[in-house]
Amino acid sequence: MARKMLVDEGMSQTNQEEAHYDFDLFVIGAGSGGVRAARFSANFGAKVGICELPFHPISSEVIGGVGGTCVIRGCVPKKILVYGAAFGGELEDARNYGWELNEKLNFNWKKLLHKKTDEIIRLNGIYKRLLSNAGVKLFEGEGKIVGPNEVEVTQLDGTKLSYSAKHILIATGSRAHRPPIPGQELGITSDEALSLEDLPKRAVIFGGGYIAVEFASIWRGLGADVDLFFRRELPLRGFDDEMRAVVARNLEARGINLHAQTNLTELIKTDNGIKVITDHGVELEADVVLFATGRLPNSKRLNLEAVGVELDNTGAVKVDEYSRTNISSIWAVGDVTNRMNLTPVALMEGTCFAKTAFGGESSKPDYSSIPCAVFSIPPLSVVGLSEEQAIEKANSDVLVFTSTFNPMKNTISGRQEKTVMKLVVDSETDKVLGASMCGPDAPEIMQGIAVALKCGATKAQFDSTVGIHPSAAEEFVTMRSVSRRITVRGKPKTNL
Amino acid sequence: MVSTCLTAPKLSAPTLQTLCRNLPLTLPSSTLYSFSRLLSPSTSRFRHHHVPLQRRCLFSTRSKSGNDAEPLRDYDFDLFTIGAGSGGVRASRFAANFGASVAVCELPFSTISSETTGGVGGTCVLRGCVPKKLMVYASKYSHEFHESNGFGWKYDTKPKHDWSTLVANKNAELQRLTGIYKNILNNAGVTLIEGRGKIVDPHTVDVDGKLYTARHILISVGGRPFIPEIPGSEYAIDSDAALDLSTKPEKVAIVGGGYIALEFAGIFNGLKSEVHVFIRQKKVLRGFDEEIRDFVGDQMSLRGIEFHTEEAPQAIVKSADGSLSLTTNKGTVEGFSHIMFATGRRPNTKNLGLESVGVKTNKNGAIEVDEYSRTTVPSIWAVGDVTDRINLTPVALMEGGALAKTLFQNEPTKPDYRAIPSAVFSQPPIGQVGLTEEQAIKEHGDIDVYTANFRPLKATLSGLPDRVFMKLIVCARTNKVLGLHMCGEDSAEIVQGFAVAVKAGLTKVDFDATVGIHPTSAEEFVTMRTPTRKIRQSPAAEGKMGVEANAAGV
Repeated sequence: MARKMLVDEGMSQTNQEEAHYDFDLFVIGAGSGGVRAARFSANFGAKVGICELPFHPISSEVIGGVGGTCVIRGCVPKKILVYGAAFGGELEDARNYGWELNEKLNFNWKKLLHKKTDEIIRLNGIYKRLLSNAGVKLFEGEGKIVGPNEVEVTQLDGTKLSYSAKHILIATGSRAHRPPIPGQELGITSDEALSLEDLPKRAVIFGGGYIAVEFASIWRGLGADVDLFFRRELPLRGFDDEMRAVVARNLEARGINLHAQTNLTELIKTDNGIKVITDHGVELEADVVLFATGRLPNSKRLNLEAVGVELDNTGAVKVDEYSRTNISSIWAVGDVTNRMNLTPVALMEGTCFAKTAFGGESSKPDYSSIPCAVFSIPPLSVVGLSEEQAIEKANSDVLVFTSTFNPMKNTISGRQEKTVMKLVVDSETDKVLGASMCGPDAPEIMQGIAVALKCGATKAQFDSTVGIHPSAAEEFVTMRSVSRRITVRGKPKTNL
Repeated sequence: MVSTCLTAPKLSAPTLQTLCRNLPLTLPSSTLYSFSRLLSPSTSRFRHHHVPLQRRCLFSTRSKSGNDAEPLRDYDFDLFTIGAGSGGVRASRFAANFGASVAVCELPFSTISSETTGGVGGTCVLRGCVPKKLMVYASKYSHEFHESNGFGWKYDTKPKHDWSTLVANKNAELQRLTGIYKNILNNAGVTLIEGRGKIVDPHTVDVDGKLYTARHILISVGGRPFIPEIPGSEYAIDSDAALDLSTKPEKVAIVGGGYIALEFAGIFNGLKSEVHVFIRQKKVLRGFDEEIRDFVGDQMSLRGIEFHTEEAPQAIVKSADGSLSLTTNKGTVEGFSHIMFATGRRPNTKNLGLESVGVKTNKNGAIEVDEYSRTTVPSIWAVGDVTDRINLTPVALMEGGALAKTLFQNEPTKPDYRAIPSAVFSQPPIGQVGLTEEQAIKEHGDIDVYTANFRPLKATLSGLPDRVFMKLIVCARTNKVLGLHMCGEDSAEIVQGFAVAVKAGLTKVDFDATVGIHPTSAEEFVTMRTPTRKIRQSPAAEGKMGVEANAAGV
């Protein structure tokens, strides 16, 4: 069927010029972006090959697995652990609702770990099936680019396969990196953190990004003592400042020790664990030290220099708006391009690539109003501009609506934790420029809000929507009072 | 000057819902306070017959330019509201914020409503949304305990539920909320009168023998559960009582298939009662999307609720041991500790004096109103459940807010009933906005239906048979999303944001252009690529008739 479509529609160009290629498309890396691009290209009628490293939960230069970071070492296992950890607080909350539970609750980490691994193995299989159902040929091994239209795959047994392809797509993603401090080999990255044999009793996390914050919540929820060190005043740089403060407050209230503006300088092995030394002279001992200090693109072993594919100074593959590198037959999507490192963005980039290369429809990914979530406990979710960004970009005054409330569930559970919601509105156009929420269910709530924002919904349209009562989400449509108005100075209106 | 003052408090008044949840209390805002002081310097000594001069002048001016051209008369109040539930409080508070002198009367507080008991806050706060949701939270834990097993949590002894702790904590919360509502009214400068209000003439209300005159009267007395007369119906309880039982019902029959029945079935099931639901129809939730009706019934059955379909109640018999048996057209089930009727609600329009002043009611007893909530008597208005339009708290709030604008802000405002989202807090819950598939076909003919039925990530670990069902109904001609339905965890929270999109008239293309939030359930609504079926009325469209099935793409 796929082959028939290839002949039937739109592929005449391929047929007349490059019938001699082994593949229309060869994809290196079967993560979110690569699998999406491969499947959709195949659906458009292209003949597609894809290579991926062998499966293992912990990635390395030679280990990977179909499904990629999201499925094996990212979103999915992380969310599973967050679910597991969230029960810690949930069960405490149950008591005031009349539930009698043992004083000390048992938690079996090995069971959770085992079930998590089962689930990602299952998903790994599903992704393989998706590829084969789409007619994509999967090779297990390490891919290298040997020419603008030539790929070499080194298989597990060392044998090398060589294929020609009209288009090559680099979708090799990224990997966690460790800071170069003495004793860094004693620390772990998020890969290992998702597969630890034993649950740490004392955990130290270095980093202030979403990965750091999520693991802090996971381990704390499962009962560990957690110390979180980060360089800035608040975690989650790049997010709305007010919301960053909310997250920090919530983490602390849940028992996580925050150490702002602090760097780790050295790790030393001791009899009882790892001694952690900071630039403030603080010393403490931990069972596990997690480096969540950023990720780097997997671009080193692809032989890109040989063909002249340009990289930026972080090692990310440089691409144009259509995800094409400086070599016209070579493209790249997902984390390896370090644009916006999110699974749904890689999916979008993969889809746009397939449309551009094989769908006869040049298609640019649209990076406006992309929602995202931080699965801390409780979670944060945002879409559009932060208050700071809105002020920076605004041509007219910015209206900020906020709502801070005790979620109804807490009225009985007694948990002292406020939900905070925020809308940032352009005073002249009435358009909602940004929305954020920190509180239970925030990521689920934000998705629909994201549709509205993406399409330029106005505050009036939010207000005209009737609430769903009683929910937390209804607060987004019942924010009547402006909390503050920020006058944009130095930007005279051009039409006056 | 006056108009500046009038608009200021609108911005500073927090919403009712916020206040419900805002603990500790964060009102009043200073602006609001200073505003009410400005208009009524003697707020603390304020009596209804001492309408401050400033305010009265303000209103006589306004009303002359308004649509009533009636001669100026001295009234005790600009607005007298009967019933301090969601709609009544909202209308009163907003009217006061717009500068009107307002009084509201309400029956004394009780968790069970009657001809003589009620309470500030009304059904939503005291006998509806709030206590129901608290009970849902409590009952949902038993499912969470099961789920947590799959995530490695273990209980040495099985979690046990203590009914009295829950009821005590719930009632303490209701007391607190009714107090908050009183404060809201007080802070807005609304005079609260405890007692039963009865309309004497188009401008006079009698509260337990005292007469009050008002330029406008608002009826917002709500509705009450209705139990049909069958032999033994005196043994049945309604939802008021079900929310306030002193002990756990061991085995409960719930008669009815509407949202109240399903919510209580979930509550009692979660709190470990044996639950039987008797419904007249083949399926639960008449009026909802057919697929949702099937799906929620299946999911609830999987959680242990027994449904008895096409069974109408005929009699209740109390046996010697005190247990109850329910006889239906199909037979008798015995051994119930409680039988609850969730067989509808009726407007509280009896003994309000409506007939004598000429306020018309329909055959269900609901007050007939026009699009501005005006009754057949020009000075008498009605909002909320007593009008039996769409009986939801946020709708009553909308009606109350619109009425205050119409009467006191010179801005005639009709409530907008399009695309009102709603939720059923069954377990799993339902959220929906817009048209059902059946309605969409009737109104638009050609539609595309997108569905997703999947096992959520949480269930793959918990091993429980929980699933999620989602559905988008799209107009084939305009690409507009006409309806959106979901049953599964977090449905109510998820649907709210989409309701903004549906209300704004967004298209399927707009949904598709939105990037997902991964990993969530909600992202499924923006990643539905292939229609499950295309329904075409005219053979001309696409050259085929009826339903075209299609496998949904992953």
